[in-house]
Amino acid sequence: MKKLLSSLAFSALLLLTNSCRSGDKNEGAIEITLSGWQSNPIESRLLEKVIDQFEAKYPNIKVKHEVINSQYMDVIKTRLIGEVAPDVFYLDAFEAPLLMKYEVLEPLNSYIKSEFNLADFEPNLINAFKRNGNLYGIPKDFSTLALFYNETAFAKAKIQQPPKTWNQLIEYSKKLTLYDQTGKVNQYGFGITPELPRQQFIIQAFGGELVDRNHYAAFATPESLKGLQLVIEQYRHDRSSAQPSDVGASSGDDMFGQGKAAMMLSGAWTIPYFKETFPNLKFSTAEVPTINNRKGTMAYTVAYVMNRKSTQKEAAWKLIEYLTSEATMKESGSQGFALPSRRSVLKGLDSDRHSLYAPLIAGSTYATIWQAGETLPTILTNFDNQFVSALIGQQSLKDAMQKAQDTANREIYLSN
Amino acid sequence: MLNKTIWNKQSTRETVSGYLFMTPAIVVLGIFLIVPVIFTIVLAFYRVQLLGEVSFQFAGFKNFVRMRSDERVWIALKNTAEYVAIVVPIQTILALGLALILNTNIKGKSWFRVAFFLPTVTSSAVLTLIFMWIYNTNGLLNSFLGFFGLPTYNWLGDPDVALKGIMLMNIWATAPLFMVIYLAALQDIPESLYEAASIDGAAPWEKFWCITLPFLKPVTFFVIVMGIIGTFQLFDQSYIFSSGSGGPNNATLTIVLLIYQYAFKNLDMGYALALTLMLALVIMTVTLIQRSLFKEESLD
Repeated sequence: MKKLLSSLAFSALLLLTNSCRSGDKNEGAIEITLSGWQSNPIESRLLEKVIDQFEAKYPNIKVKHEVINSQYMDVIKTRLIGEVAPDVFYLDAFEAPLLMKYEVLEPLNSYIKSEFNLADFEPNLINAFKRNGNLYGIPKDFSTLALFYNETAFAKAKIQQPPKTWNQLIEYSKKLTLYDQTGKVNQYGFGITPELPRQQFIIQAFGGELVDRNHYAAFATPESLKGLQLVIEQYRHDRSSAQPSDVGASSGDDMFGQGKAAMMLSGAWTIPYFKETFPNLKFSTAEVPTINNRKGTMAYTVAYVMNRKSTQKEAAWKLIEYLTSEATMKESGSQGFALPSRRSVLKGLDSDRHSLYAPLIAGSTYATIWQAGETLPTILTNFDNQFVSALIGQQSLKDAMQKAQDTANREIYLSN
Repeated sequence: MLNKTIWNKQSTRETVSGYLFMTPAIVVLGIFLIVPVIFTIVLAFYRVQLLGEVSFQFAGFKNFVRMRSDERVWIALKNTAEYVAIVVPIQTILALGLALILNTNIKGKSWFRVAFFLPTVTSSAVLTLIFMWIYNTNGLLNSFLGFFGLPTYNWLGDPDVALKGIMLMNIWATAPLFMVIYLAALQDIPESLYEAASIDGAAPWEKFWCITLPFLKPVTFFVIVMGIIGTFQLFDQSYIFSSGSGGPNNATLTIVLLIYQYAFKNLDMGYALALTLMLALVIMTVTLIQRSLFKEESLD
C-alpha cells in the first residue's frame, strides 16, 4: 500500500515537472485566453480553425480557447471578481450594460485603426456596446427573429401564403391546430416561448415600453398590455398555441421540428439546426407578421470584449481584430448560425440560401435589440415568472404585469 | 520546581506536536469552513460590491430590513417550509417501513437492500434529469396516470404541481439512506426483549409500539434532524427543474436558490449573505425545538 502511494505521488510529481517543461518550450510566446460558449459543435470546430489561422499569422501569440457552456455569465462574473478572467470573451448585448457600468472591460477606441473599418458594422449593434462614448465590444454576429412555418402543414390546411399580419397569424393558427380522435391536440398552430427576450417587440407594438429612462420597469401600461394580451388570448381562448413544456418538447425549435407546432418565431441558428436534426422537415421563413400595422422583431447580438485586467492587451486586440475581420466573417457566416455583423459581408451572403435568410436580414432594419440597461436581468426574472402565471390563467395579465413591475422596481430600488 | 518546569516542557512539547499533527486539518477547516463562516456573519451587515472597484460599506441592519419587504423571500420561505413539512415526515415513515420489511426474513433480502439503496448513491443531478423525462408531458408518469384514467399534469410547467414533482423525487431518493440507518438500529434491539414480550402475550403491534419505536427514538431524532437540514437546503433539483429561475411563477423558488440568484445573478453579496444567515438561524431554531421535544425520553 505504502509503495503504491509513494509511486503515485512520484508519478504525480513527474507529471507536474513535465507540464512545466512543456510550458518552458514556448518561452517568448504570449498566451492569451479566449472564452465563449458553444452553441453547436460545428460552430466550435470552425472557430478552432480560425484560431489556427490566427496563430499561423502571429506565431508569437498562442490562443487558449476555452468553452464555458453552463451558466456562462455567472462564471465570467465570478472570474472577473477573482481577477482570473480570460483576456477576450463573448458578451451578450443583454449583459453588456452591467459590465460596462462597473468598468471591467477595456475601452477599444484607441486600438481601432481606420483599416478596421468600424463604419462597416451595423450601427445598432455597435451602439449596444457603447457607453459614454467608449466602445467596449466588437459585435461578432447577430440574429433577428423570423416566422418559421411548416410547409407540409400549410399545404394540408390549404394556406398558400404565410401570415402578413398578427390577426392573420391568429386566424391561420386556428386552421392549423389539429386534433386526434380523442380530442387531444397533436399539432398546434403556433409555438410560443413565453419569455421576455421574445416578447419585447410585442410590448412595443402598441407604443408600450419595457423600461423608462431610469431603467425602471415600465411595462404594465395599457399600451404594453394590449400587445401581450394577443399572446395570452390566443393561448387561453383559441387554444391554438402552445409552449414547449405543454407538448413535452425541450424548446420551441424542438416543438416545431417534431411537428407539434406549425408556426413559430425563431432565429438564424434554427436553420442549420433543422437541417441537421430534422432533415425531412419542410419549412420556410417569412418576416414576423405586423402587429398594429407596425413591423417589429427582436435582434440578439454577441460581441468580443477585452478584459480590462488583461496583461496582454495588444495581443488580445489582435485576436479580436482578426476574429471580426471581413475575411473571417465571410468564412463563419457561410455556416449560417447567425448573421454577420459587417454590412459588407451581410450583403454578400450567397443567393441559394437567400430565401430562408432573407426575412431575417430584412428584420435587421427595424429590429429591437435585446438590451435595456443594467437592470434588465432583474426585470427579466420577474417578467418571466409572472407572464407564465398569466398565461396559464392563475391571474389576469394586468395583475400579473403590475406585480412583476412592482417587484422588479422594488428590487432595483433596493439594490441601488 | 525543576521537576515542574520539565513537566511543563514536556507538556508544551506534547501540545506543540499535537497541534502539529492537527495542522493540516486545522488549515483546511479554517480556510474552507471557519473563515467563510466569519466572513458571512461580518459581510451580512455590509453593502458589498465586488465587480470592478471592490468596496465594502457598512449598512447596519439594512440587509435584514430589506428581507421583510422582499416578497420573493416570503415565497421562498413558504415553498421551503411546505417542502420540509411534506418531505420529512413521509421520507422518515417510508424509511422506517422499508427498514422493518427488510428486517424480517424475506427472500432476497440483500438484493432488496442494494436495489433500495441505488437511488441514494446516484448523483442528484442525474436523478433530476431522469425525472424530468419521467415528468415530461408525454412521459412515463403521465402515460401511467392516463392508462388508469387519472388526470395528467404538465409536471414541469404547472406551478401547482412543479414543487410536488420535486418532493416526490426527493422522497424516493433520500428515504433509502435513512432506511439503512434504521436497519442498523433495528439490529441492535436485543431479541430477548421481544421474547419476554411474547411470553407476556403482547401482540406484534404492541411489540412494535412499546419496544421497537422507543428503542429507535435517538435514531429517529437523527433522521429527522438530518432530513430537515437536507430539505431546507434544497437547491440542485429546483435549479435544474427551472433552469435557475425558480419558476413557473416562483413555484420552485427555494431559499438557497434565491441566495444563489442574489449572489451570482445580481451580484448582491451582502444581501445574499444576510439571507444565508437567516437560513442558518431558521435551521438552528427548528433543530433546537426538536431537541427539546425529543429530550425527555431519549435520556434513558
